[in-house]
Amino acid sequence: MYQYTSFDAHFVKQRAAQYRDQLERNLAGKLGDEEFRPLRLQNGWYVQRHAPMLRVAVPYGELSSRQIRALARIAREFDRGYAHLTTRQNVQFNWIPLNRSADVMDVLADVGMHGIQTSGNCIRNTTSDCFAGVAPDEIVDPRPYCELLRQWSTLHPEFAFLPRKFKIAVSGALEDRAAIAWHDIGLQLLKNEAGEIGFKVLVGGGMGRTPVIGTVIREFLPWHQILVFIEAIVRVYNRHGRRDNMYKARIKILVKAEGPRFIQDVEEEFLAILNHDVDGDAHLIPQSELDRVSASFVLPEGVAPIESDFKVPDDAPVAYKRWLERNVHGHKIAGYRAVTLSLKRLGQAPGDATDEQMERAADLADRYSHGELRVSHDQNLVLPWVRESDLFELWQAARDASYASPNIGLLTDMINCPGGDFCALANARSIPIAQAISERFDDLDELYDIGDIDLHMSGCINSCGHHHSAHIGILGVDKDGKEWYQVSLGGSDGSRISGEAVPGKVIGPSFAADEVPDVIEAVIETYRGQRAANELFIDTVRRIGLDSFKAAANAARRSTAKAS
Amino acid sequence: MTATLGNSPMKFIDPHHDRWHTIVGEDGPMVTLSPAPYSLLTLLQWHAVRSRWPLDMPVGVAIGNADEIEDLKPDLPRIALVALNFPKWVDGRAYSQARLLRARFRFTGEVRATGEVLVDMMPLLQRTGFDAVVLRSDQDIEAARRALTFFPGHYQGDVRDNHPPFNREAA
Repeated sequence: MYQYTSFDAHFVKQRAAQYRDQLERNLAGKLGDEEFRPLRLQNGWYVQRHAPMLRVAVPYGELSSRQIRALARIAREFDRGYAHLTTRQNVQFNWIPLNRSADVMDVLADVGMHGIQTSGNCIRNTTSDCFAGVAPDEIVDPRPYCELLRQWSTLHPEFAFLPRKFKIAVSGALEDRAAIAWHDIGLQLLKNEAGEIGFKVLVGGGMGRTPVIGTVIREFLPWHQILVFIEAIVRVYNRHGRRDNMYKARIKILVKAEGPRFIQDVEEEFLAILNHDVDGDAHLIPQSELDRVSASFVLPEGVAPIESDFKVPDDAPVAYKRWLERNVHGHKIAGYRAVTLSLKRLGQAPGDATDEQMERAADLADRYSHGELRVSHDQNLVLPWVRESDLFELWQAARDASYASPNIGLLTDMINCPGGDFCALANARSIPIAQAISERFDDLDELYDIGDIDLHMSGCINSCGHHHSAHIGILGVDKDGKEWYQVSLGGSDGSRISGEAVPGKVIGPSFAADEVPDVIEAVIETYRGQRAANELFIDTVRRIGLDSFKAAANAARRSTAKAS
Repeated sequence: MTATLGNSPMKFIDPHHDRWHTIVGEDGPMVTLSPAPYSLLTLLQWHAVRSRWPLDMPVGVAIGNADEIEDLKPDLPRIALVALNFPKWVDGRAYSQARLLRARFRFTGEVRATGEVLVDMMPLLQRTGFDAVVLRSDQDIEAARRALTFFPGHYQGDVRDNHPPFNREAA
């Protein structure tokens, strides 16, 4: 993991001090609520249904056991005993009163954490592959580059008030586990024929009302130019992005409107920085700096290939075998595995963890994973450094902490936003729907028979639950003051099994809340009836088209929601 | 040169004691005007009078967010002040304009922030090249000065020194 320098540590403390000054002026009536709002947003403080929501940054999803213990403490002492993991690898709290917010920032700063730029119209926390640095299919470890991006984007003076939020995702593996094409900037690390490292750069992807897949702006950008190139993109966006309509303010709209002209503007700006600006080459990254940062991402002490004779005994418990199949992943170091702790289980909202569970996760990380965890885009926790010989013991311990649902990649491993139970933006609740679907599909044999499938649900069109990129997407909408749910099929996040990134297609008018589990079941039964041997859900949808799914879904309709 | 660009201390302008004045009639900025020292003109006004403006007479130009700052480039050596505008304080276009004035066009005159200018913008203003601000009338200058003190250093370069820490020579 990246090790904070004294500069980093001091910086975060000063950010907490700056926030306290702003909060105190607000509480003293010297800083109006409207003017305080963008300031608290850029520290992660939203105002939601019940209290402010705090979004804590987890840079590219890496957490230490010490940090997750601090999060557990915050949940226990300042909140109501739980936290929520997000698709952007961050952690959210829902019940902290604003007048205690500065104290929470101090607790976070003590473990090198903060809420810097986790909200607001600025460059957000950079996300990445939750298996970065351990994945067997990795081309280049993205973490040092993510860390360089974190530093460069943190309190960038020119880009704090962009037309709209701005999200960057980085992948360094063959498999895209970061949904990069769905981001404002998506970066794919590559090696060219000469073995040199660079980025394929995508720009203008995004969800929301207008789902757009990113456009490739560079096939291969030498790695050391990345900060300057991103500066060029963000400057063109800051100057020319729309500010008259917040629904048309994301960079995707500018890229669509300008087409090739946008790419030309960025390339010209890039050259202008390098050729004309005072010390315009100062943000070209020297090898020495990459080496300095990379030194934080070497193998943990003691991790080395182990002669592996890992075998699962025939008489091993079925539950353990299933867990090995779904929750245990390949590793680049022989004798090691990465293990997902599932946060998708009955009785708890997807992605939620109690303070006690977070403490247990910290213990598991200390015992089995060199004190390191990851937050995954799919809202689970990952232990990246587990010895194969520890797997059985870890499984037992994970089961005791209710982290061992063997459902990773299956229907119940769904992505879910907090929805109308917590979020002031939501049109509809998502948690009760998630629970109802989990209850309907609680039979493991059935789940395994259905196989790999991405089900994502958003409580509103802001798409925090990534419904556009799901094989089965569910979107909460409000009609006549009631909650309705639009179902879409065939979307992809860009992963290997899902195919090239593409938004799903809506299969008809919205359904009532109590119809949703029936609709999902009807869609699944259609798949099971029509699939070819070993065919995944997404492949059946692509092969046979939407008609039979639509018919089955409509047959489950009892209410008559008017078409939108 | 690098170190001195935009590195002067922040000047807080009292609008009641400001030698710069706009040329405004009842219907907005006047189209016909005679050159007078310390006139702060709109871009349109400047373009109308630039050919007959005396070389040694101080002039300022106020640029809108949608104006192309590049259009001013040939005239910059004659201009003493560029005023940039924040129509809303969360509209960040003027930060890019200021940076281009300093880092790309080497403008060494005054770059002034006008419009909705609030205390908490100070670090951003300073780092993108503003050296003068007209704070909104309800703002507290002491809080503005304090806002400039929280961070002794930053991760990225800025117009005062574009070198980020990793490319800065050890002092």
